[in-house]
Amino acid sequence: MTRFFSLIGRGLLQHRAMMYLLVGFALFPLYTGFADLPFWNDVAIRIMLLGMAAMGLNLVLGYGGMVSFGHAAFFGIGAYCVGISSYYDIFNGWIHIGFSLVTCGLMGVIIGLLSLRTSGIYFIMITLAFAQMLFFAFVSLETFGGDDGMSIDRAEFGLIDLYEPLRLYFLVWAALVIVSLLLMFIVHSRFGVTLRAIKSNESRVEAMGLTPLKFKITAYVISAMICGLAGTLFASWQEYVSPDIMHWTRSGELMIIIILGGLGTLAGPLLGAIAFLLLEEFLPELIQAIAPDYAENWMIVFGPILIAIVMFGRGGLLGLLIKLFQRKGAS
Amino acid sequence: MSSPILQLDGVMKSYDALLATNNVSLDVVAGEIHALIGPNGAGKTTLIKQIYGSERPDSGRILLNGENITSLSVPKRVRKGIGRSFQISNVLTDFTMRENAIIAAQAQRQEAFQFFLPAFDDASLIEDAMVILDAVGLTSKADILVSELAHGERRLLELALAMAGEPCLLLLDEPMAGAGPQESQHMTDIISALRARHGILLIEHDMDAVFALADRITVLVEGAVIAHGTSAEISQNPAVREAYLGREDEAC
Ligand SMILES: Nc1ncnc2c1ncn2[C@@H]1O[C@H](COP(=O)(O)OP(=O)(O)OP(=O)(O)O)[C@@H](O)[C@H]1O
Ligand SMILES: [Mg+2]
Repeated sequence: MTRFFSLIGRGLLQHRAMMYLLVGFALFPLYTGFADLPFWNDVAIRIMLLGMAAMGLNLVLGYGGMVSFGHAAFFGIGAYCVGISSYYDIFNGWIHIGFSLVTCGLMGVIIGLLSLRTSGIYFIMITLAFAQMLFFAFVSLETFGGDDGMSIDRAEFGLIDLYEPLRLYFLVWAALVIVSLLLMFIVHSRFGVTLRAIKSNESRVEAMGLTPLKFKITAYVISAMICGLAGTLFASWQEYVSPDIMHWTRSGELMIIIILGGLGTLAGPLLGAIAFLLLEEFLPELIQAIAPDYAENWMIVFGPILIAIVMFGRGGLLGLLIKLFQRKGAS
Repeated sequence: MSSPILQLDGVMKSYDALLATNNVSLDVVAGEIHALIGPNGAGKTTLIKQIYGSERPDSGRILLNGENITSLSVPKRVRKGIGRSFQISNVLTDFTMRENAIIAAQAQRQEAFQFFLPAFDDASLIEDAMVILDAVGLTSKADILVSELAHGERRLLELALAMAGEPCLLLLDEPMAGAGPQESQHMTDIISALRARHGILLIEHDMDAVFALADRITVLVEGAVIAHGTSAEISQNPAVREAYLGREDEAC
């Protein structure tokens, strides 16, 4: 037990960036409250939820070296768990979350078992294929709105009324804290270290008498459940869910967020989500101001910026920040 | 008489038309180093793979301590007591030496599937790791990243990792390959001391090392055993001299 707590202590110190971000998100509503910018609370919620999904994917992608190109599917399943529950008049948020964790866990086991026997480009393609299959399944499910999706009421969490301003914000924040702590444990645990070893050299891990597949599937399931949780909260926040939520471009978006922030780091995905969504928010306006003719094609600028950060900032934004602070500390 | 640690019984394996292992029978008994020699492409590594479990023989049996392991998976065989060092260095290059050894130590303790126990900063695992590194004299370099190590040191680390599971059988595939004369000598000394605790099947092209280490030698050519005996017998065997030793200077 004491070892357990010493793990928390050391983990927190090692992940100062993560702590600063979580504290920052906790204090952010104070700022938006004083400055009267409630819209920005919504941006922050989006960032926290996409960040959470990216953190989930990062366990598989960054720590386990498995390039899953279908993780938006779990985000989407989590979201549809709210839609489907509401359709059957179940509005209790705890049930939504339970439903989502169980469903995503099971889907994770199935997809994981079928795809993790392959590797490299085959693995990328199989995970993408499963995600596309689910996407088209929901497109064709007319009961749940098909193509158009369905609008839903925000979930009920006992005394926590999510229509009350800031309640939803802090529910999302609490979920983010729990996911962060969980991942912090996992990454530094014996399991996490073995997972990283598998990424480094699977055959040496096998030569130690371990079965890499067991570790990979477990990581895959945990990551699917985290993505599902993020999707569940996302649907409640958006009050709407459609197949677009699990479009393959979102899987790509999650990968970009991770690489942008720092692959295989705890705070990286959250930092990446901040950068990604702020760029997405501000870039169109910025380009409108500088070169109005190109405003509609702001993606043309967005792409190269992302590529530049990924290529020149090895270790992502987190890597850049750490370098920056180390230099400051040295001088 | 107790059964040998390893016993191969009529093992056959072909890749399409190529007969890579042709009816091989051999054994390794406790306390001996059994060398497997033969020209390039003779099928030495293929044979080791079948003992290790990453390849399955087409026919024949493989027994470990009298137990038939022919159809077991690699991790199962490792847990039953097989350690392997590969022909091409196979260690965790993204980690330090100490971390490599810690990962091996927690696997050995069957504690790798633990979610809430610390790994790299767990005092008792660090202790185990230092014992593992000490076996090959690498403790002073524990904190160096493996990717920054010299080739010879990686080979030593790999040997240490192979021994970490306290296997009864060690499969060593050309541990001296690419090492300088000094490193070879060091490696020879270390391996020589291991025979007390592990049965060893050693593949090696460096004949000085082979004759210095081996208690028995099996000669493999084109997948088949052409000779088998003590070091002295093999060095005198005319068929071996012709098929293998005579070509030593040109082939390797
Ligand atoms: N997976 C495979 N598929 C087809 N042929 C293979 C395969 N693996 C090995 N071989 C062939 O089997 C033969 C034996 O190869 P092996 O690697 O066992 O030789 P070796 O005795 O270890 O040689 P070396 O001394 O060069 O390491 C070679 O002709 C090789 O080309
Ligand atoms: Mg070989």
